[in-house]
Amino acid sequence: MLFNSIEFVFFFILVTCMYFLLPHRYRWMLLLAASCYFYMAFVPIYILILGFTIIIDYIAGILIENAAGKKRKQYLIMSLVANIGVLAVFKYYNFINENLTPLLQSVSIKNPAPFLKILLPIGLSFHTFQAMSYTIEVYRGNQQAERHFGIYALYVMFYPQLVAGPIERPQNLLPQFRQKFNFNYDRVVQGLQLMLWGIFKKLVIADRLAIYVNAVFNNAERHNGTTLLVAAIFFTIQIYCDFSGYSDIAIGAAKVMGFKLMTNFNRPFFSKSIAEFWKRWHISLSTWFKDYVYLSVGGNRVAVPRWYFNLFIVFLLSGLWHGANFTFIIWGAINAFYLIFAIATKKFSSKIEKFTGLSKVPKLNTALQILLTFSLTCFAFIFFRANNVQAAFLIIKKIIFQHGPLFFENASMLLFSLMGIFFLFLAELKKEYFDDKFSLFHHEKWLVRNLSYAMLIIIILVAGVFDGGEFIYFQF
Amino acid sequence: MFHPFLDKIKARPIPYFFTKLFIFLLLVFAIDFGVGQLLSYFYFKQKSGVEYRTTYSINKTKEDILIFGSSRANHHYHPEIFESRLHMSYYNAGRDGTSIIYHYALLKGVLKRYSPKIIILDIVNKEFQKNKDSYEKISPLLPYYNSHPEIRSIVQLRSRYEKYKLFSKIYPFNSAIFKIAMGNAGSSKKGSSDVQGYIPFYKVWDQPITKYISTVTYETDNKKIECYEQFIKDCNKAGVKLFVFVSPYYGISGHVDYSFLIADSIAKKHGIPFFDYSNTELFMSQRSYFADIRHLNDEGAKVYSNIVIDSILKTQ
Repeated sequence: MLFNSIEFVFFFILVTCMYFLLPHRYRWMLLLAASCYFYMAFVPIYILILGFTIIIDYIAGILIENAAGKKRKQYLIMSLVANIGVLAVFKYYNFINENLTPLLQSVSIKNPAPFLKILLPIGLSFHTFQAMSYTIEVYRGNQQAERHFGIYALYVMFYPQLVAGPIERPQNLLPQFRQKFNFNYDRVVQGLQLMLWGIFKKLVIADRLAIYVNAVFNNAERHNGTTLLVAAIFFTIQIYCDFSGYSDIAIGAAKVMGFKLMTNFNRPFFSKSIAEFWKRWHISLSTWFKDYVYLSVGGNRVAVPRWYFNLFIVFLLSGLWHGANFTFIIWGAINAFYLIFAIATKKFSSKIEKFTGLSKVPKLNTALQILLTFSLTCFAFIFFRANNVQAAFLIIKKIIFQHGPLFFENASMLLFSLMGIFFLFLAELKKEYFDDKFSLFHHEKWLVRNLSYAMLIIIILVAGVFDGGEFIYFQF
Repeated sequence: MFHPFLDKIKARPIPYFFTKLFIFLLLVFAIDFGVGQLLSYFYFKQKSGVEYRTTYSINKTKEDILIFGSSRANHHYHPEIFESRLHMSYYNAGRDGTSIIYHYALLKGVLKRYSPKIIILDIVNKEFQKNKDSYEKISPLLPYYNSHPEIRSIVQLRSRYEKYKLFSKIYPFNSAIFKIAMGNAGSSKKGSSDVQGYIPFYKVWDQPITKYISTVTYETDNKKIECYEQFIKDCNKAGVKLFVFVSPYYGISGHVDYSFLIADSIAKKHGIPFFDYSNTELFMSQRSYFADIRHLNDEGAKVYSNIVIDSILKTQ
């Protein structure tokens, strides 16, 4: 069930009303049943995979807590192997197999492993990582093992964040299922407002840009560099609006019922460096990798070459997390390179700023840093979106060498895209630098405030794409 | 007006929330109604552009010959040739990117008013292929939903919630605001880009002939096939002479498209002439007749229109 569907509107209203009508002790049952229904609306049979990991991790959590010494580690490894095993089978098996075949053929060995005709379960990487987070935290002693199976299952399956995050930590989410939330007017209104903003980002901006991006990226060989450059910029904005739009709807839907999910995006396009970008982009995944991989292998408290290696590995894994394709791996590697390069040349960059006098003009310096970071991000996202590695290199080659007139099927489509980007830019700029200043959406007068939100709905009706597809991150 | 009441119930959050929500929704509906009416006014006030041509096709046509189909219908049937050789009036109702579902809805709108003497339906390869996109592309019919009950069942094929979405007065004009603006701006100009609905292409294709990859069979959409058959039945019932054509492509597929086979057999079943010119020698050897691999240019359209008329006359 997609957040941008009419079915979800009915589902959300029904579940939320029932949630507040039910006595607290029955609410977890309602949420669990609703979450199962929500997930089964995609491909019903895949709930069994979810059920498998839930049972494994539930048992593993209790075993880890009850055990001592080496046993604890063994149980943790058992749980991690089960989770990663599911990921490996459904997400990476065919990819590995496909790349193994030519390797084996080169030494005259026929690959005996068959290709599996399986669909990737929706949001597999998200709920698997959330489940792993639980057993790791229990192992580390930061979280008590959850004895209530239903509550634990709900932790993994909570419908707002089940298929595309935010990837929650047990310390934040689990206790909230035991908390009684009464109907709170301000919280409900804020949640609905956040959902509306998420829908706006998805329908008005992301799905609109997707029309152009898909037309260009899927026929890269037919387009010139100018068009491909615009498509690359559009894709960067599209994926942000698509994913952060989803997060806003998820966080908003949870907030209406009283739950507080973690922030997943913090206006990443105002980042002044790639390091800052990763603190603002997909925060729940970045912090997951930081907490459970980067710091576990030593983080930056190691020799410099090892530190660089740690960064590289983490970003490579992050790329692989997104999909079983070399395009994602290269995307991760490019981001790792950006970070390592920035660290290695930090002193040199400061010298350049002083030499050019940019340090004396902080606003211009900030603007240039933001522009550079955005450009680097756009460049990396070419690999993320390209249909394959060859296409990505062709796109880059064309962007550099082959310019020409900009392609657009009709002016209307381009105007809608630019209007959406402009609106987003204004909203994010205001939030980033002038949050305490005049606001239509938080105006003291009820009528102004409500007229602003009503106009947001009107813009969605006028300019939203109602036939758009699912959220990009569902496939991960 | 609401303030004393709202103050009274403020201490009870749920009634307070629903009261405010109700007022907010009233506000949204009021703006939606106002903006929707405004868009509707300007939509139907257009005197040029693609939206205008759809309005004209559904509401105003009275010509003897009507052309139905997608972009290939729109660019391939030359009005001058038809009018001069058949001595009948002509209008081209073809629209880019549309499928048989759209053509059938348009036909229903036309037949409600009058019966043209001749209708030419141009079909394209993969016409009956199962494709979600085809249903999205009937959105140009949304503005006619309220005033044309005969097309409602077809519009509702878009989704099962379509009739609820259409409670909004803006929704039928979704994504059309700039086109409406351009259509109205164009109304002050003397002429428009089309000639009786026909839009000529003047560019000449400069690439060698290609062998395009086309799957031999594919999953077909029964609803599309039903629309096609119903199109034929409705024309027969109204006494309209219907001719189904496949116009030329600049490419070699190596086989007859599956949809053409289906279209041919259904046409034969109902005694309707079916002509397939998709792989005609004359056009395959003449790059200068094409604007691109799927579309003839104006010169090609003239040549092809003469062939079409010859075919029609042979059936008399």
